[in-house]
Amino acid sequence: MRGQVSRRTVIGFIAPAVFGLAIVGIAPLLYAAWTSLHFFNLIKLKQVKFIGLENYWTVLTDEVFWQAMGRTFFLLCTALPLQLALGLGIALVLHKPGLTILKTLARLSLVLPMATTYAVVGLLGQVMFNQKFGVINQMLGGANINWIGDPTNAFAMIIFWDVWQWTPFVALVLLAGLTMVPGEVEEAARLETKSWWTVLRYVQLPFLLPGLVAVLILRTADTLKLFDMVFTLTRGGPGAATEFISLMIQRVGFRGFDQGLASAQAIILLIITIILAQIYIRVFYKEV
Amino acid sequence: MSIRKLLCSVALSGVMATGALAEGHGWSLAKAAEPYAGTTVDVVFLLRPGYEAIEAMLPAFEEETGIKVNVIKHPYENALGEQVRDFVAGGDLDVVLIDLVWIGNFAENDWALPLADVQAKFPDIVDPDLDIDDFFPLVLDAFGSWNGTTYGLPVDNYSGLMFYNRCMLEEAGFDGPPETWTELKDVYGPALTKDGKYAFALQSKRNETQSADSFARMIWPFGGSFLDADFKSNLNSPESQAGLQFRQDLMQYMPDGIVAYDHAEVVNGFAQGDIAMITEWSAFYSSVVSPETSKVADCVEIAPEPKGPAGRKPALGGFSMAVASQADEAEQAAAYLFIQWATSKANAVEYVERGGVSARQSAYEDPALAETFKYIPALVESWQDGVPEFRPRFAEWPEITEIVQEWGTKMMLGEVTTEEGAQEIGTRMEAVLEDAGYYSGDKPLAQ
Amino acid sequence: MNTTRSLASQILLLFIIIAVCVFPFYWMVTTSLKTQIVALEAPPVWIFEPTLNNYREALFEDGVLRTLINSLIIAISTTVLAIFLGVPAAFALARFEFRGKKDLWFWFITNRMVSPIVLALPFFLIARNLGILDKHITLILIYLTFNLPIVIWIVTDQFRGIPYDLDEAARLEGASQFTIMRKICLPLAMPGVAVSAIFSFIFSWNELMFGLILTRSEAKTAPAMAVSFMEGYNLPYGKIMATSTLIVIPVLIFALLASKQLVRGLTMGAVK
Repeated sequence: MRGQVSRRTVIGFIAPAVFGLAIVGIAPLLYAAWTSLHFFNLIKLKQVKFIGLENYWTVLTDEVFWQAMGRTFFLLCTALPLQLALGLGIALVLHKPGLTILKTLARLSLVLPMATTYAVVGLLGQVMFNQKFGVINQMLGGANINWIGDPTNAFAMIIFWDVWQWTPFVALVLLAGLTMVPGEVEEAARLETKSWWTVLRYVQLPFLLPGLVAVLILRTADTLKLFDMVFTLTRGGPGAATEFISLMIQRVGFRGFDQGLASAQAIILLIITIILAQIYIRVFYKEV
Repeated sequence: MSIRKLLCSVALSGVMATGALAEGHGWSLAKAAEPYAGTTVDVVFLLRPGYEAIEAMLPAFEEETGIKVNVIKHPYENALGEQVRDFVAGGDLDVVLIDLVWIGNFAENDWALPLADVQAKFPDIVDPDLDIDDFFPLVLDAFGSWNGTTYGLPVDNYSGLMFYNRCMLEEAGFDGPPETWTELKDVYGPALTKDGKYAFALQSKRNETQSADSFARMIWPFGGSFLDADFKSNLNSPESQAGLQFRQDLMQYMPDGIVAYDHAEVVNGFAQGDIAMITEWSAFYSSVVSPETSKVADCVEIAPEPKGPAGRKPALGGFSMAVASQADEAEQAAAYLFIQWATSKANAVEYVERGGVSARQSAYEDPALAETFKYIPALVESWQDGVPEFRPRFAEWPEITEIVQEWGTKMMLGEVTTEEGAQEIGTRMEAVLEDAGYYSGDKPLAQ
Repeated sequence: MNTTRSLASQILLLFIIIAVCVFPFYWMVTTSLKTQIVALEAPPVWIFEPTLNNYREALFEDGVLRTLINSLIIAISTTVLAIFLGVPAAFALARFEFRGKKDLWFWFITNRMVSPIVLALPFFLIARNLGILDKHITLILIYLTFNLPIVIWIVTDQFRGIPYDLDEAARLEGASQFTIMRKICLPLAMPGVAVSAIFSFIFSWNELMFGLILTRSEAKTAPAMAVSFMEGYNLPYGKIMATSTLIVIPVLIFALLASKQLVRGLTMGAVK
């Protein structure tokens, strides 16, 4: 039968990758699991001791942890719809016939935000959104909006940059989906109806679905991982207004030095990630 | 008895004689360093004026000793984490850079060596002219010592000072800075806050700045403190609350979004002429009086921080350098030589002239220097007496400061009241101290 | 009438898209050419006398040049390593039948979703025990956690698109699976390999958190360097933007040159 090969062959092919990922992916996880069961503080290594599930209990009952988690999902729920709406709009504009050169230029410029170093996006944000010498306030007609120092505005600013960086990704994925619609089908549909919505809903959407699922999976994962841009832009502030889950764990583990607690937080985050990934992949994704 | 005393003094004079002899023989840095030439000393520096000053002076040291100093620069916010990770990992650092709030931590972990141990181990490298009593006692005690043992020598030294814009104050009809915090708020505040300008700005960003420059600065002058005698939270005491409430009330005379202001923003605002008064570290002097970075260079004047009901309690901060225990023998000796040289009496004036702030009393004796560097009188006055535990210096501070930063900023944003915030900090702080064993008597109540 | 109006609005929209995407870079570059005083001018000035001082300082005095070289070494090495390890695994996942295949694939892909903070901490302690802190190899290895999943995801897809008939003859002649992969399938899967290499490179180049935690001076990466100018004491905006420009421009040029493959790669895992 096709694809039937000896066990040794299979192992020969997959072992290097499995081994490589095990060293860098699994070994640290095991270590994290171990520290999460201990009082393990970098500045108190003399007092390391086994404390069972106490760290987990602390995390699960810590409202600050769940607030950070809630904030993270709130960001996902506000940024992602914006990215989808704007991305779809851009994809439709780019999908229209004509204006080849301008469209090529637009497609090229869409690549730029995605490739930009996330940390640099945050640094750029600091410069552009500064209340006094920032160009954003200037462009808003000399507005005096306090972006970085106000909790609501700071959150809006994070949404802005997340949307700026990732809408192009959504747009390009959806554009690729649109181009997969067979030309004659789309033309026929356009003869039938003048409504672009009808065409989108009944003709194009089926081709967009796989892309949308991929966007959903990747954006969810990336929001849970979100660190660099916020770290360089607001460091989680003001107060805790933009302290997302990865920032919070970094703070506990590397600023408070409580690595045991941070490991417990990290493992809970990992479990949430895996559950979400499972759901997404099992529900939406064509499997191997 | 008297014979013993006599013997003692004979012995003492003997020691002094050998000391003098050593001096006569010419203790020299070059000679002392001879066995360690070629050694590399790894040290963390911050991106601040005091370190730039040392760096500029380094070539002379390297040439004289043959010791190479490898400087690794970090922003303050990363410096503790970088060093802790290096020591935990048994890394390369040979010098411990100690902010006063880190000293309990570095000492309890035995990462820093007591000064006396190093000197006993390498008697030949001790400069007979070290003159440790020349350091301001408060500074040496607060920045370099823990539990009665001296570890580090003060190198980059700060006192909170009031920088004020004389021109703005004169325009508003004031011929001097406010004497008290209350005067600042009630008289200077309304008069100077107008037309997009502000009377005052208190750097309050959620990092060490919030704890040190904002939170602690307000509780002490009003008679408050972090901990009471039993190491329980004292933040809900009427005095601490008065200070925290005062901070809330003062915010109306500060720029919006002050919770996002770090030193850089406050100093920029002052240097641009938008803010009339700031309370900042002495080390900022060079940047606000330099026409290259300041529009108000000619208007800058310096005074000690205002007084509160409990007197003048200026913010205290600063760094000492100690020898790292993880360094090998040669590196320890070389590190000591470097520290001794960088903080020496002989180099103090040059250090000041290059933009550093020395902790040597002798450095400030020359009145000519005080004319060039206007901060000197206020600094010397501030260091006469102060609170070493302005922020508790025990090993638990890194955890506690995180708590203070979080709830301190929430307080300022009005998300919690000062009572609620203080309650939260208190509960969480006491939990940390409980775990550390202060309440069970496992640990002496030292801060 | 209607069509001209819709054409005009389409042109307008395209211009807006381009402007919004490009403007931040314009602002970054111009700020990098400002002195500190000009950079702090309020409201910001658009026309000023440019200076290259920030670049000179950043590159030669503060050692940004070395961190750029470090980033380059690390990004290239980890990409090559990910390809070498990932391609055979992708081949197996696409073509062989074996037990646990789905779970294995799922495990590879899940790694892409794990927050680096989960790994950074323990990996730091492990690296400490192995004495490989602040070495290139440390980052080269840890970057596999996100590069290997990318390679496997994209290249598996690519291999799956290659019909079995193609290598039927070779198999009958007794060629080993390895030879089949190398001689017949790999050349056909090259576009996918190239795409995944581009992604690996970009992600590695841009990575911050591991660089921040696992390196100190020897192997410090460029993004970690840019962040280290963020001293609360004094923010040299011009220099920070100059460093940012130095980090971003190479990767942007690379991304533009490879934009066709990049867009295909985005959609390869996504649109099947």
